[in-house]
Amino acid sequence: MKKKIIAMILACTMVFSLAACGNKEQNTGGSSTKTEGEKEADKGAEEETGGVELEVVTTFAGNDGNAQNYKQWYQEWEKTTGNKVIDMSSTSSDTFKTRVVTDFETGSEPDVLFFFNGADANSFIEAGKVISIEEIRAEYPDYASNMDDGRIPVSLVDQKAYAVPVNGIWEALFVNTEILEAAGVAMPGADYTWEQFLADCQKIKDAGYTPIAAALGHIPHYWWEFAIFNHTSPENHLTIPESVTDEIGQEWVEGMEDIKELYEAGYFPENTLSATDDETFAMFTEGKAAFLLDGSWKVNGIVSACQSDPDDITTLDTEKLAKFDVTYVPAKEARKATDLLGGLTSGYYITKKAWDDPAKRAAAVDFVSFMTSNEAVPVFAQHGSSALNNVPEVDESAFNELQIKSLEMMAGCTSITGVVQDLFQGEARVPTFDGMPEIVTGAVNAADAVQEGLDIYWSAQ
Amino acid sequence: MQRMQYRKVWIFTGAHNKNCKNENAGGDASGIPEKEGVHMGANIYKNKKPLLLFLLPAFAFMIVYLYYPFFKNIFDSFMQVKELGISGEVWNDPWYSNYVKLVQDKNIWTSLKNTVIMTLVTIVGQVGIALVLALMVDNIRRGAKIFRTMYFFPIVVSATALGLLFNLIFLYDKGMLNQILSALGKEGLTDWKEEKLALFTMMLPVMWQYVGFYFVIIVTGLNNISEELYEAAAIDGATKLKRIRYLTVPLLHNVLCTCVVLAVTGALKVFDLPWTMFPKGMPLKSTFLTGTYMYYQTMIVKDIDYGAAIAVMIVILGVILSKAVNTIFKEKDY
Repeated sequence: MKKKIIAMILACTMVFSLAACGNKEQNTGGSSTKTEGEKEADKGAEEETGGVELEVVTTFAGNDGNAQNYKQWYQEWEKTTGNKVIDMSSTSSDTFKTRVVTDFETGSEPDVLFFFNGADANSFIEAGKVISIEEIRAEYPDYASNMDDGRIPVSLVDQKAYAVPVNGIWEALFVNTEILEAAGVAMPGADYTWEQFLADCQKIKDAGYTPIAAALGHIPHYWWEFAIFNHTSPENHLTIPESVTDEIGQEWVEGMEDIKELYEAGYFPENTLSATDDETFAMFTEGKAAFLLDGSWKVNGIVSACQSDPDDITTLDTEKLAKFDVTYVPAKEARKATDLLGGLTSGYYITKKAWDDPAKRAAAVDFVSFMTSNEAVPVFAQHGSSALNNVPEVDESAFNELQIKSLEMMAGCTSITGVVQDLFQGEARVPTFDGMPEIVTGAVNAADAVQEGLDIYWSAQ
Repeated sequence: MQRMQYRKVWIFTGAHNKNCKNENAGGDASGIPEKEGVHMGANIYKNKKPLLLFLLPAFAFMIVYLYYPFFKNIFDSFMQVKELGISGEVWNDPWYSNYVKLVQDKNIWTSLKNTVIMTLVTIVGQVGIALVLALMVDNIRRGAKIFRTMYFFPIVVSATALGLLFNLIFLYDKGMLNQILSALGKEGLTDWKEEKLALFTMMLPVMWQYVGFYFVIIVTGLNNISEELYEAAAIDGATKLKRIRYLTVPLLHNVLCTCVVLAVTGALKVFDLPWTMFPKGMPLKSTFLTGTYMYYQTMIVKDIDYGAAIAVMIVILGVILSKAVNTIFKEKDY
């Protein structure tokens, strides 16, 4: 008898386990077991009363400067509509990008996605798994109508716009002015040259500080991009050379050699090849390194580092924050220091999966419209740019000192160019990104590394 | 007597059922009254179908989530796979090109070398230290349980958490170790993750984490050795060291063999802690292990089919090493 009971329990467990595995569709989609008529009826009801669950993936998570804003805004949308957001956001990284692309391949994509609009998005756009803004407007004419269409980036695949942008990014040189003062170096401005930068680095090093906070063995991305940009120009920066023998190819090699020169002069941290980006960032905020080349999202990172409680803005040490500034990256050759890198590199996509689901289509459109409204965009864009038709007046009183300095720096910007590394992806990057330590230590010749990357890139085209 | 009778019944009923498959239970030709337990036992041993039913889900699970991906992975290592999650549709040119690349890739040789070092460190550092600790704990009268718990504790902490913990210990600026060295008067900071020290820094936490695991196994083995043997040896005048050399270690032979086999196969699978401490084989790709290099190629470089080829190599390496270890450290029958 006992054995029979055990057998029954085991059988029940097995059945429940299998049922649980197959339950997801019913919980989230809710449409698979209904007829078309029922779905239409549901659609009408849900548009009135809410009750739709939207799976949303963004990069607004972790220490991203907009993580809190995102949470507040989607919760506001939930309250207004009665719908629910299943937030599966994660900080941006190579692993995150791979996860998103793999989710599309395996049919596990979310309903709405905030993601990059460069080459990272090519695979799911090629597969027709996201809906273009044009197609959405055929049914919802007001969709993204508050945006300047000319500024919405188009896909590299078919030159169509898919992602509705929110906040633009820029890359620039953050400065710890306390170290500059201690080393007797003036705050760099709009006419900052490479020669002046080298001289300043030497002064800072002589004063016992590390001139540049960078982890070349971990995140060489920003130096890679600007070192190349210093030899190219806003007009041809996004052109990928055929080989190191052509003009742009030569410029790429010269860029790599500039980084090598900085490394050999000892301007990077002693452990730049073994440190992580977090470690070198801490050197900068703790007053051990003078310069940090990074993106606009780091403004909030620096502000957090000046708070006794990183999650509580009221604990901000304004005196400490006042020691940080942001300026232009030193210029070399044709590029002006005020020519910056950046742009509207990400945006909200609506996936085909959500679009084809009558219960979710309207909710997905409404969610993206809400998150890209004239009210939401300035909150997310802060000191960065946006694609809004009518840019609202900036209320500087709501900004901290570093955000105001960022606005001033951006006001003097003469051009913003996209980053070529968004086009030069995957394995092609490896010889010069992951191979940067080999390049700067001389283990690998810069020209060989660049050529290897170009060979991989062109063989994949 | 009763037991004997039941035994007979069981044998008889079994034979009877074999010949008369369709005959219902409820008494048999022998005329011996049927007992419920006896009859049920007969059915359980005779009717194998319910057992198969319960074995099938696990079997299907293994087929779908282990064997199919395993063979698919071998197939993919010869194909061009653009993204994770999709199958390759075009053969590599030549089809074995990933395996040629494997031989020519110097990072593979680095990762193989590091994996072999990791295996040796595991045997000596984990099993060796565990043996010494177990022998010491076995010889104390009080507190043995506390030591067992304390040494075993690192096993229950996730490897990623341990990686982050050791990252703070070995941190260049303000790391615990460098602060201690500074307090002791050392000038300048030591970069524990630089090329020369990186392997040491990576292997120390891995070694530390699993010492407790082998410690518990060996302590259990020690408890199984009869106290009388030690008493006899003591009467014969054997010192403590001699008792360990001539009694404990030989009698622990099989336990130690099991530990070594587990340690070697475990060393081949180490991934999370090294990856947390040394992402992308930092510095200068000198800390790659076979597992971390496969992950790097698949997830970071996105050379999926090459990652598949590395996975095949890891399986082959695992089979060879396991076979070698099983042959060298063969268990003895006493």
